[in-house]
Amino acid sequence: MSTPALHAARLVLMRDLRLAVRQRGQFVQPLAFFAIVTMLFPLSISPELARLREIAAGVLWVAALLASLLALEFLFRDDAHDGTLEQYALSGQSLTWLVFAKTTAHWLLTGVPLALMAPLAGVSLGVPYAALPGIIAPIALGTLVLSLIGAIGAALTLGVRRSGVLLTLLTLPLAMPVLIFGAQATDLAIRGVSFAAPLYLLSAMAVLGVTLAPLAAAAAVRISLE
Amino acid sequence: MNEFFHMGGYARFVWPAYALTLAIGVLNIVWARRALARACEEARRRVPIRGARP
Amino acid sequence: MTWTWFHRLASPPHVYALATRLTPWVAWPAAVLILAGLYGGLVLAPPDYQQGDGFRIIYVHASSGWMSLMVYVTMATSAAVGLIWRMKIAHAVAASCAPIGASFTLAALVTGSLWGRPMWGTYWEWDPRLTSELILLFLYLGYMALRSAIDEVHRADRASALLAVVGVVNVPIIHYSVLWWNSLHQAPSVMKLAKPEMPPAMLLPLLLMLAGFTLFFLSLLLVRLRGEILRRERSASWIREALAG
Repeated sequence: MSTPALHAARLVLMRDLRLAVRQRGQFVQPLAFFAIVTMLFPLSISPELARLREIAAGVLWVAALLASLLALEFLFRDDAHDGTLEQYALSGQSLTWLVFAKTTAHWLLTGVPLALMAPLAGVSLGVPYAALPGIIAPIALGTLVLSLIGAIGAALTLGVRRSGVLLTLLTLPLAMPVLIFGAQATDLAIRGVSFAAPLYLLSAMAVLGVTLAPLAAAAAVRISLE
Repeated sequence: MNEFFHMGGYARFVWPAYALTLAIGVLNIVWARRALARACEEARRRVPIRGARP
Repeated sequence: MTWTWFHRLASPPHVYALATRLTPWVAWPAAVLILAGLYGGLVLAPPDYQQGDGFRIIYVHASSGWMSLMVYVTMATSAAVGLIWRMKIAHAVAASCAPIGASFTLAALVTGSLWGRPMWGTYWEWDPRLTSELILLFLYLGYMALRSAIDEVHRADRASALLAVVGVVNVPIIHYSVLWWNSLHQAPSVMKLAKPEMPPAMLLPLLLMLAGFTLFFLSLLLVRLRGEILRRERSASWIREALAG
């Protein structure tokens, strides 16, 4: 009796979400990290809101990027550790869909909260209220692309000792376009100008990522489990 | 001859560029040969010597 | 037409012997071409009417840039071949490419920086071509880091192969960035299919350099390939004879 791929994917997604609820501490870490990093800039550069507003887009995005990289480490870690990942690979279900489900769960648990928390950090950096959608939407999309691309790196470095730095080194080059256009979108929003263009580019990257990244990540999982 | 080294005033950009590229070229040659030597060394140690049968 | 020559390419002892024999045939012509290109570019070519003698950096900068892209494409292609057809030789080729490509990407970035300072007033700009070339350097370094982090050679081969293939999307971005975005780096002057903008006295040495560097890459590849083949052939009997020779 075989389960259609979509149904299996939904089961994996719900499982990951349910497990996360039981291990809340793990998912607070990236958010706390984000908050601390954004706090460092007013402390080290200047408390003047006018000056902070100039660099706010960059600060928010670099902090979000680093927090996401931090969170990527536990995308596959627990499942690889207890053999669940191997079961997924052997199950006969489409590993691509299962990996996509895990990545989506990961984004819902880390990227979306980051996107919702970022406006608070933004306001503390002098960002006007009108610009807040220009923070939430790009960061939500950007973290989605990061989770998708990061899943590839996370899968490739399964079981490698001290994989944190290596994961960063592998993911950052591929993630740079996200940073460039995402920060551009937020910056335009802060200036009160339409940020549609970079937002469309981010959306295009998200579409590309959703269609191709899980394939690569699933292949990477198989390579690491051999 | 002096004009050649002077490079129309751009000498301090042109010659370091050439020197660096040359250095990287030479480095690659040395590096590649050393990598091969090391691989031969390891292979010699791994493969049992003629006549010695486990 | 028989395909035996292709099938023999999958045989490590055959490729090892072939690489050993071919190397001088590639290395010496490379040296000749590069020397000829250097002479033509540094001595024979007239100074540029806009950039004076400073334009001569192009002979090392464009060559390095060409190397950085060509080597990555070679690496990604052989990585893909290794993943799809599971040929160990292909993985050996990919592994050999990385250090070569990384070092010439660095050369391209630094020589470009030295060229940029007198011509456009700045050592660095975050324009698309320079940024994506820098990303290429990090891709190479990430590839090499991943390889050395995984102890088991075959898993390292396949993992880094996947990484190389995923990163290849950066190559067309680098190449076409000067067309897609109007910014600091100058538009292509060699690859245009219409009449190239450079006069022959300047263009010819450049073509010689590009050809020479390509052969130079091949010679380096052949040397490294031999070592990589040895690492992947555990206690095979042919090694004894190959090393004794």
